Amino acid sequence: MLTDGAKEQYRRQLALIGEAGQERLLRASVLVAGAGGLGTAIALQCAFAGIGRIRIVDGDVIERTNLNRQILYREGDIGRYKADAAALRLEGIHPDLRVEAVHTGITEKNVDAFVQGCDIVLDGMDNYPARYLLDAAARAARVPFVHGAVHGFYGQVSTFIAGITPCLRCLVPYPPPDGAVPILGVTAGAIGCIQATEAIKYLVGTGSLLTSRVLLWDGLGGDAVVEAVEGNPGCPVCGGTAGAGR
Amino acid sequence: MKVTVKAFAILREHMDRVTTVTLASGANVRDLLDLLTARHAGLAGELFTAPGVLKEYVNILKNGRNIHFIAGMDTKLEDGDVIALFPPAGGG
Repeated sequence: MLTDGAKEQYRRQLALIGEAGQERLLRASVLVAGAGGLGTAIALQCAFAGIGRIRIVDGDVIERTNLNRQILYREGDIGRYKADAAALRLEGIHPDLRVEAVHTGITEKNVDAFVQGCDIVLDGMDNYPARYLLDAAARAARVPFVHGAVHGFYGQVSTFIAGITPCLRCLVPYPPPDGAVPILGVTAGAIGCIQATEAIKYLVGTGSLLTSRVLLWDGLGGDAVVEAVEGNPGCPVCGGTAGAGR
Repeated sequence: MKVTVKAFAILREHMDRVTTVTLASGANVRDLLDLLTARHAGLAGELFTAPGVLKEYVNILKNGRNIHFIAGMDTKLEDGDVIALFPPAGGG
């Protein structure tokens, strides 16, 4: 049952998702893996939508070069752990919000513990080894993994669900080289917002997810295209599961 | 035969986002890329590590299926195929 305060705070979105949908968001737990350009945009939108619990995981500290796109941080945060600064900035967006800040990198050893208890996993990582770990852990926990990545004006989003869709390795069998890529804040913001939209739709139970599909964003050309994602029949992770999400 | 080629991400800075290409019957993905790179300056640098050697991470989808899961550059093309060239983003 929503409080009077919640009914007022969410008045403009209750027409879209209903009181039952809003209650689902307030009861939900999400994992935001990474607190960079994507993760800060995702976490902020999840908090404003009224999601109740956000676990935000990132082992890095804030540097000045982050401040063109990582929208939860300010100059005075330089040198602080991103997860801690993000949690502080999110505090108070709504009265039921609980943010768990974890300033640790994601590894094969800890990934399952971070996914445990979460209803959905949101990809705010900047490297594929960690993304593959998260996708596998989410599959094992039977929760969706919402992948996002950015490069310059371009980005991509796809949602993976065990037993329904192919996996991240089917979409990206070979990762692009690691390293600092050119990036504008608006690209991370656009992709992060689409990822948060996926989470809201899934938690509320409305709309169509980007399952077995990838949205390819082109901010420079001013368009977005959705392409089908076919599984690799020999995929060691998912066996090429495909089709049921479409 | 004619195939449609869709380019995504950085590749759009070197070629049209959608183009139709005419190829000889029996052509494969390698023939298609040879034709495209001859036509569009700068494209080879985005696709290849050395002449004819595809960058592993550049996804080439034939009607939605990655050629890595078919026959790689030797994947045969057919009239009406839609080929998507999609180098994945990696940043966050």
